[in-house]
Amino acid sequence: MGPWFVELLARNGDVLQRQCVDKLPIRIGRGYGNDVILDDDYAAPSHAIVEPDPAGHLVLRDLGSRNGIVVAGKRRQDAVLAGDTVVRIGHTSLRVRAADCPVAPELVDHTLHGWEGMLPGAAGLLLTGSIALLARWLSDAEFFEPARYAEALAGGLAAALLWGGMWGFANRLFGRHARLGRHLFVFGCGITALAGWIALGSLLAYAFSAESITHYGSHLVTVLLAGIVYFHLSTIRPRNRVRYRWICAGLAVLSSSLILAGNVQRTGRFSDELYMSVLLPPAMRMSSDHGVDEFMRDVDAMKGPLDRSRGRKPGDDQIDD
Amino acid sequence: MRHFPPTRRILPALIAAAALGAAVSLAVAAGKGVAQREKPAPQPPLVIPPATPPATTPPAPGPGETDETAALPTPSSAAQTLYSAARADLLQIRMLLKNGRSQSSVGSGFLVGTGNLVLTNYHVVSQMALDPDVYIGEYVDTDGKSGPVELLAVDVLHDLAVVRVDRNGSGFFQVPERPVKLVQGQYLYSLGNPLDLGFAISEGSYNGIVTRSFYEQLIFTGPINSGMSGGPSVTAAGVVAGVNVSKRLDGELVSFLVPVRYAQELLGRVAVQPHAPKNFNPLIGQQLLAHQRALIDRLLGEPLSIRTMGPYQVPVRESQQLRCWGRSNFRAEAEFTLDAVSCAMEAAIYVSDTQQTGHVSMTHQVIRSSSLHPLQFAVLASSRFRVDSLGAGRDTRLTRPACAEMFVHTATLPVRAVTCVRAYRKFAGLYNFTLLAASTDDPNANLLSRLDLAGVSYENGMRATRAFLSALGRSHARAGSR
Repeated sequence: MGPWFVELLARNGDVLQRQCVDKLPIRIGRGYGNDVILDDDYAAPSHAIVEPDPAGHLVLRDLGSRNGIVVAGKRRQDAVLAGDTVVRIGHTSLRVRAADCPVAPELVDHTLHGWEGMLPGAAGLLLTGSIALLARWLSDAEFFEPARYAEALAGGLAAALLWGGMWGFANRLFGRHARLGRHLFVFGCGITALAGWIALGSLLAYAFSAESITHYGSHLVTVLLAGIVYFHLSTIRPRNRVRYRWICAGLAVLSSSLILAGNVQRTGRFSDELYMSVLLPPAMRMSSDHGVDEFMRDVDAMKGPLDRSRGRKPGDDQIDD
Repeated sequence: MRHFPPTRRILPALIAAAALGAAVSLAVAAGKGVAQREKPAPQPPLVIPPATPPATTPPAPGPGETDETAALPTPSSAAQTLYSAARADLLQIRMLLKNGRSQSSVGSGFLVGTGNLVLTNYHVVSQMALDPDVYIGEYVDTDGKSGPVELLAVDVLHDLAVVRVDRNGSGFFQVPERPVKLVQGQYLYSLGNPLDLGFAISEGSYNGIVTRSFYEQLIFTGPINSGMSGGPSVTAAGVVAGVNVSKRLDGELVSFLVPVRYAQELLGRVAVQPHAPKNFNPLIGQQLLAHQRALIDRLLGEPLSIRTMGPYQVPVRESQQLRCWGRSNFRAEAEFTLDAVSCAMEAAIYVSDTQQTGHVSMTHQVIRSSSLHPLQFAVLASSRFRVDSLGAGRDTRLTRPACAEMFVHTATLPVRAVTCVRAYRKFAGLYNFTLLAASTDDPNANLLSRLDLAGVSYENGMRATRAFLSALGRSHARAGSR
């Protein structure tokens, strides 16, 4: 049967310390005469003992301590220890397993071990830096000055390192490695996707006169942000992918509803803006122009809703479309 | 299998939530940053505040702020005589909160003839006219006696009002039947209660008729302070020439009087009306509607004049009332040139402390660049085309804006056109119109135009918007432009 392993567990189930004991009974307590010594102020010097019962199961018995032993939230005098039974003694959680305790089969490794560290980190920083420089260039209408571009680059890289570092820290805390390079890569790809959406959304809205794309553009932005968070979380614990998918979908829905509620509260409309303010070069226009008469008909059509909202209380006079 | 106690499962989710929140704010800030890096040109406000100071008396100056050592000039004998003769008929008009009877604004007024009617400014009694449930009026005479006032009639356009009090005049202030003949340079004496300090008379001279304001006003070169609004200005002979109304805050001793002619008309209307209206809001609405009819008729009476700005042709209206100013960015260190012209009325109709209306302004900006990439130019033009809000979003006097937007082709120019309209809550049939138009014909040049119409009817708003939009044009074929 033996040897037996006493495993002290963290609250998330990770093994903090594992001790091999060759023979039964196993004495557990704070005193130095025990087989397993607990550094726990809430454990008695001689707290409990593990013995086989007549049926051959392992049983943990309380040796008359004040705080006792707790299994699944209930205080017990003694407890049968199956391989997965977690017992709390004072502030210490532990379980006892025999050497023949079955373990889960190994997981198939999908991780690209070549795509870790420097390589993805550099790629992520490169993407972030290029987006920052592009944004700076697009909005630069003053005479060229290298300092402004250096500032933009430094700002972009600092943001990437800060964001990636935060996730790396979380990864080290909840996983084993920081995986900073991977997190930087996720950030770089995310920023590229965001910038791409802003450019593409503006282009489509302008080209086809599809104003609702920019009116409600912030919702796709929340979806992309939720996607970034999903990839960061999956990097930390690849096994929980499905759960993270739901969490991130929920977050995206929540953020979108907050944006809608905020817009209604602030401006009385669901849309993010009063009108589409995007202007692009004429070559990017696909839709045709309308006559002034047609435009004035649209203006005329607003009179009815406006007059109806006159009578309502300030605060709930949303213009109905 | 390891077991995860449930609380631990939530922690990564919480961190993710916080991270997403931070990311959203970062992204929003970044998006705004790109758009706002170019400092937008200051747009003219929707409504330019008129020269009329509100009737409210500003807080009294602290000790040390008043100069008590300056020697006073010897009063002219005419002023002395006039004041002693007029003091019995001079009143201070106060607006009080019904609840608690604390005063909220003060002005002046005067008893007409031997009757019990008092002439004052509309802006002195506007609170009582607009919100009779909240405010009531009270008069105080030069002896400190007070009594109630009853509002009988208002003329918002000329800023006049008639109230009834419970005493009769001595007959000093005669509102003449025929218009008073005034000569430039002639002495006038203005009476009232400046800054709630006490009744006063000030001497000045008549300097003609203002042509800049929409309605005729007399220029009085003499001091008029807030609190004197609604008081009379009389000639040395004691004939009422006008009613004190406003002064220019950016000038010295440039004050304005309402000609007595309009006071006569208002008194005439009071004489024939059987009883005072219960609710003045519809009446004020009608007067504002009449104003906008005259305003838009004058604006569109003849075709808008066309000016050439670079490759574009833009409509403007320059007249005595609508002044135009131009500016340019030729000194700025920028890769583009900006030329702008903006025309605005210098006066608006005072409705309340927080609302002025009956106003027109228009702006044209042309930006051009030969060195910017078309995409850079597009970002620049977009940021200038963006107007974040048309007045306060949560304005209790106006509804929220409704907007129409479209790609439109005028006779010679394709433009992106946006029109936003807000309706007045208290005055049926009045709206604020804003038209924004940006040309879409050239990757290196852009015309951005804006028209603001405050307090117009829907038909007139549409009419002016259409005229303005249709007149935007391109002066020559695109091939010729650099």
